[in-house]
Order: sequence, then C-alpha cells, then structure tokens
Amino acid sequence: MFKFSKILTSPLKILCAAVVLSTTSGLMTAATAAESAKATVNGMVCAFCAQGIEKRLSSLPATKAVFVDLRKKIVAVEAREGQSLDLAAIRHEITEAGYDVVKLETVAMSVDELRAQSAASRPARK
Amino acid sequence: MEFFNSLLRWLVTAFAMTAVFSAHAGPMGFKGSAMTMGDFSPNWQKGWVNYAPSSRDAVGVGALAMRSDDKRLTRKLSELTYTRLLKRVNGEHSQANLWFVGGVGPVSGNDFSGSKTLWAPGISADYETTRVYVSGTLRLYRASGMNHDFASARAGFSFYEVDYEETQPWFIVEVRRMRGLSEGIEITPMLRLINKRYFVDLGVNNIKQGRVNFMYIF
Repeated sequence: MFKFSKILTSPLKILCAAVVLSTTSGLMTAATAAESAKATVNGMVCAFCAQGIEKRLSSLPATKAVFVDLRKKIVAVEAREGQSLDLAAIRHEITEAGYDVVKLETVAMSVDELRAQSAASRPARK
Repeated sequence: MEFFNSLLRWLVTAFAMTAVFSAHAGPMGFKGSAMTMGDFSPNWQKGWVNYAPSSRDAVGVGALAMRSDDKRLTRKLSELTYTRLLKRVNGEHSQANLWFVGGVGPVSGNDFSGSKTLWAPGISADYETTRVYVSGTLRLYRASGMNHDFASARAGFSFYEVDYEETQPWFIVEVRRMRGLSEGIEITPMLRLINKRYFVDLGVNNIKQGRVNFMYIF
C-alpha cells in the first residue's frame, strides 16, 4: 500500500518527486499557453481550392501555424507566442478566399494538438 | 442508338464545355493569386494564365490551337480573358459555382488568310463534394463567318477522402463537342489527381488520343 510518509523520509525520493512535479508542471504550462482560432467552414471540399485559405491565413502577422481539416471542415490558426489572434481578420480572410465561416472560436490548443486530435478521430479509409 | 446520340448531344449542349476550365472548383484562384491551366491532346492544345485581383474576378491571357477530327482544318486563337464568379453556394459538405468566362482575340486558320476577331463568351457551372463532382460548360467561339461553339460536361467520384496534405485520386468522365471542328462527341475517362499544390487529369479519349489537363496556383 502506498504511504506518503515513506517519501518524506527519503531525501532522494523527495528530490525525484520534485523534479517530476516540476517537469510536469512545465509541460502543462507550455501546453496550455498555445492559443488557436478554430473555424468551422462551409464549402471547403478540396485541397486545391482550400490552399487559398491556408495561404491567406499564413500571411497574417500573428499566425504561427495553420491547420486545415477537409473532413471536419475545420481551419485552425495558432498564434505566435505573445501575440493575439484577430478573429475578425481571420473570418475576413476565409470569406475573401470564397468560403463561409459558420463558427469561430478560440481554443487553448496548438495546431499540432488539433492535428493530433483530428488524426485520432479519423475513420479508417474505406 | 439514334435516341442515345440525340440525348447525349442534348446533354453535352445543355451543360456545355468545361474542358477548358477544368478546374475542380473554378477557372480562377483565390484573391491575389495567379493560376495557370493547360489542356493538351492531339486535336486541342490550350494554355491559359490568369490573375485574380478580387475574390470574384480574374483577368488573363490564353492561347488555343484546334484541329478538326479529319486533321484538315486548323485554328489558332490568342485571347484576353475575363472570368467572373457569378454565384457561389457553400454547403456544409458541398460547393456549387456559376461562372462567366469571356475571351476576345485574333483567330487564324488554314482555310482563310489573315486573322479575324473572335469573341468567346461562356458560362460554366459546377457542384462538388469531397466525393462527387459534376460540371458543365457552354462557350461560344464566334467570328465573322465562323462558329465553333463548344460544350462539355464532366462527372466523377473520388475513390476515398483524404487529409489536406494528401493527394486525392478521382475518376472523371468528360464528354465534349465543338461545332465545325469535331462533329463527333469526344468521350474521355480520366484519372484526376488533386493536391493542394497541383491538379492533373490524365486520360485517353474514345478515338484513342491521350489527354492531359493541369492547373497550378502560384
């Protein structure tokens, strides 16, 4: 059975626990620091056409990365560190590329995390 | 058989010729982009480049060389083009477009001397999802004493959905006809490959001629 008192009696274990907690805490801070705008876009049916969205959003000054998900009709834009995203500008750029934004929200996730989330929920190819 | 031919001609005429603007989504790129297109077969070679100053308009230049099925008649056209997105309907899983494409320029031929001014207004419509594609185009090619009106229709399906970075294969069939040059109906089954960087059609038509279309957005 786990006994917390045993950890307290061992300086080495205390040191290890401190290192683990510190590392975990650091990772969590990094993970939650990322902020992305996530748009649900109507009309996005092919990659050749949707590249306009990617190029236009990539050219915005606060953009760090862009993710396009054709299956879920999602476009995500991750902000550069220390910069905030202009949702109105993102909506404008997607509209100017010829598509309709039906939902636009800010999420505390990076583009890589959104990409991984999308990949995890992807159905097997038929 | 006669009924079938009439029906096919009607369909081709009704939807009219998209081969030239074979774009999956349209004959122009996004605002601020330049797009180049090509359509090549022994009887038909077309190159076209345009620039989109707005999300609905594009201006460009193109060159077209045509040859009759019996190889006796040739036409060469250079044109200034204007493309306008007349209507777009974005659905949750689909997109439909209506386009105007107009062109004007000198045309020459091997059955007359000099050149004539040719006008080529046209209209094109398409509907697509991530798995289905249909389109049709009608374009008039008119000059003094000359009528090479053109019509085409395309339909096809993709084999499977892909991610944005992946290349998606499609099977597309196109039927097209040009008055005065190709009285027969050309039917071309094609393999289409769509990537975010390029767009290519490869096929062989019903008179066993190879066919290549491509598009690229800069």
